[in-house]
Amino acid sequence: MKRRHFILGAAGFGGALVVGWGVMPPRSRQGKPELLPLQAGDVALNGWLKIAADGAVVLAMPRSEMGQGVHTALPMLVAEELNMPLANVRIEQAGFDAIYGNVAMLMGSLPFHPSTTEGPDVATHIRATQWMVSKVVRELGINATGGSSSVADAWEPVRVAAATVGARLRQAAAVQWQVPLESVRIEAGQVVSGSERAGFAQLSQAAAQVDAVTVTLKPQSEFTLLGQATARSDIPSKVAGQAVFGIDVRVPGMVFAVARMAPTLQGDVASIDVSPATALAGVLQVVQFPPDAQSAGGYAVVAKTTWQAKQGADRVAVTWANGEGALADTVTIAKQLQAAVQARDGFAFYERGDVASWQATATSQVAATYDAPYLAHATLEPMNCTAQLLAGKLKLWVPTQVPGMVAAKAASVAGVDLEQVELVVTQLGGGFGRRLEVDFVAQAVRVAMAMPGQAVQLLWEREQDMRHDYYRPMHVAALSAGVNADGVVDGLRIDSAGDAITPRWMARGLPKLSGPVDLPDKTTAEGLFDIPYGFAHQRMAHTATNCGVPIGFWRSVGHSHNAFFSESFVDELAHAAQKDPAAFRQALLSQAPRYKAVLDRVLKASNWGQVLPADQAMGVALHESFGSIVAQVARVQVMPGEQWRVVEVHCAIDCGVVVNPETVAQQMEGSVVFALTALAYGRIDIEAGVVQQSNFPDYPMLSLAQTPVVHTHIVQSNRAPGGVGEPAVPPLAPAVGNALFALTGKRRRSLPIAGIAV
Amino acid sequence: MDLLINGSNHTVDVAPDTPLLWVLRDSLNLTGTKFGCGIAACGACTVHLNGQAVRTCVLPASAAQGQAITTIEGLAQGDELHAVQQAWIDEQVPQCGYCQSGMLMAAASLLANNVAPTDADIDSAMTNICRCGTYQRVRAGIHRAAKVLQSRAPKSPIDMPVPASLDAQAGGAS
Repeated sequence: MKRRHFILGAAGFGGALVVGWGVMPPRSRQGKPELLPLQAGDVALNGWLKIAADGAVVLAMPRSEMGQGVHTALPMLVAEELNMPLANVRIEQAGFDAIYGNVAMLMGSLPFHPSTTEGPDVATHIRATQWMVSKVVRELGINATGGSSSVADAWEPVRVAAATVGARLRQAAAVQWQVPLESVRIEAGQVVSGSERAGFAQLSQAAAQVDAVTVTLKPQSEFTLLGQATARSDIPSKVAGQAVFGIDVRVPGMVFAVARMAPTLQGDVASIDVSPATALAGVLQVVQFPPDAQSAGGYAVVAKTTWQAKQGADRVAVTWANGEGALADTVTIAKQLQAAVQARDGFAFYERGDVASWQATATSQVAATYDAPYLAHATLEPMNCTAQLLAGKLKLWVPTQVPGMVAAKAASVAGVDLEQVELVVTQLGGGFGRRLEVDFVAQAVRVAMAMPGQAVQLLWEREQDMRHDYYRPMHVAALSAGVNADGVVDGLRIDSAGDAITPRWMARGLPKLSGPVDLPDKTTAEGLFDIPYGFAHQRMAHTATNCGVPIGFWRSVGHSHNAFFSESFVDELAHAAQKDPAAFRQALLSQAPRYKAVLDRVLKASNWGQVLPADQAMGVALHESFGSIVAQVARVQVMPGEQWRVVEVHCAIDCGVVVNPETVAQQMEGSVVFALTALAYGRIDIEAGVVQQSNFPDYPMLSLAQTPVVHTHIVQSNRAPGGVGEPAVPPLAPAVGNALFALTGKRRRSLPIAGIAV
Repeated sequence: MDLLINGSNHTVDVAPDTPLLWVLRDSLNLTGTKFGCGIAACGACTVHLNGQAVRTCVLPASAAQGQAITTIEGLAQGDELHAVQQAWIDEQVPQCGYCQSGMLMAAASLLANNVAPTDADIDSAMTNICRCGTYQRVRAGIHRAAKVLQSRAPKSPIDMPVPASLDAQAGGAS
């Protein structure tokens, strides 16, 4: 087919720009209409959009809904650009083409300091790197929902896709009605010119024949939907119990499997006698599976119901082997990380000024060491996957953040071509990074292979989910700062240590792209090397370890612990300098106005400095992650018996252009609870390779009664969208810790912080 | 075994000690009721037994025989949503939504017992776990549903006192 041409005349936020094929990246993300499956009457116009017979516009949805509102946000982009009712935009799960790959998520993994990528004078080598990487990741087309990147990634391609559909509809109407193109408009989902009027479906066939169009993206000043609080489309089914999560998939004749893994993290079955299980009513089969993707081996009991499978799993007589390598132990790992930090030989992610001479001349120093534990994701829907191998074809129903990786893993395990894999992505009962993994998919496929033709739903019980996670890694950081002869803090040095997540994830999920040597990984240092404060001399270095514990991406990733380290320590510096912690930060942000505006907003909203009851105090923290800046003020109360509670959190965010402010507020509220849970309770302890926690009684979740009132304050912005799902997690722990210091005089440098009132 | 679920009788062939949760989900395909922990710690499996909230992952099905079982699928009256379901939409409560069936059943049970729950009542009654952290909106949703139910109650005077705590329900986007 002839390649369709278009010229993009976008009034970009940095000024008008006109882009033609010549300077477009080699692989456009618009895609061909052939990418979309068609029902009767559908007309596809590019790889993202088709017009249905009833006039609805159908968007190919590559992203997974896990409560972050993406199944509403991306249709909002379409509705805005096409001047049509949101209710007339439907979604269908996208296929596997590279145009649906998440470019923004991978671009966000580049370890550039924000001060080097903002403004008009971005260095040539940085621009060149960004261009090269964007080219490569477009070719790779890794489809993932993560890194708070879905809107940022869709912002251009989905709006351009919608704008070209609109332009072609208008062109088709102009020809059909023999009127000037300029007279044709789209209003409320209708194409109109004078007295002429047509729905999208009436013009869709003709629009598909329109070849070259010029499009101009709608400027922010003309938005009528984006920025308006909009009800999420997934909520009605969720209040009716009708939303289909992974464990809700029902296929005629299906059977149920319960998986049990070795108690040690990467152990395996040593010996097994399945006869006590298969003797039970309803039990059909016991299927062993090997360690895979840094997970443990074990077995799955298949039965007519989940309960029968569980009964069978309890009765299997099994002995376990520990697996290869040393048995992990968190006490030992903590000591290793402390030693690695003291060695001070990590990779320098950022240097400014002359740290060596500052350290020699500083009149006084402040130094402290911080640490954070391993954490589990504990999605409320435990890991599960439904699989059916039928006549050489593999059908999967999976709650996943990585459909492409799931399909590839399943094909490889089953020994079938990728084209033989059909995947339905269900609703996700929480993701938080856990569903960026494919371990449970491999297990389900192995069970399906043992029962050809049979649809099998494999479920992990909570104890397996807790003990066989890919954990947020433990990290340690040593921070030191110097005060010069004028009493000014002018130097900051950070040496941190902990495992690098990305190389481990690549090795298990994308083995062909995984190199023999680990490259410096931004996840280790994000939130330490990229802080906005204008200390004259800075050096941030990280020692990447490999402690043998399976680790993965946990909501806000490296920022989740590093913001606690950096923003608590900055608070220490303020107190050492005898300055108000907020004023101390403001003074260091003269070169970072966007950060200062967010900080100022939260200080004003929280009435920072107000006189509080003697048992209460406020703490503040400011942190950028995933393209958005969040400042939080936590008001904390102490109670007898060294107990404490968080009364209220003010949360200001600059996330660029806001698509749905209702979702922003939901994510701020949820992030505070998620972060406070980790701050108050979160720790995974490993002894002799065995995770000690197993269920909610020993890995507790914050309760409703413990939840502070969260106030969200959105800072208006005309920048392209940043993330929303993660950026409010990092600042919460330091804000609370800083408030506790103000109340008690005791600095908390180790997570979790005990004593939250029940 | 015969079970009365959402007003209809269902005959199921299960061992009597099978938890009601798995009878609902696997035998009857009533999948709105969720599995979260298996030890009655999270509340995702909450249904009503004669109008009272119970956690079904540890409740033998035999114990529910002869009693009126209501699941999330039966909470609405035909096309009319229960007040808590409508309030959940109005307050945009759910995120991932996995806990919300149980959360709604717990909230409906609370309101059936207490037409005007205070914040403290909500704190003590609502012990279900939500990993997404929707608690602030759960609280707002219960207060909203309470007001709706009070206005519907035939004998309640129009000037029924509004809980003072409602004024404390600040938050949301500024």
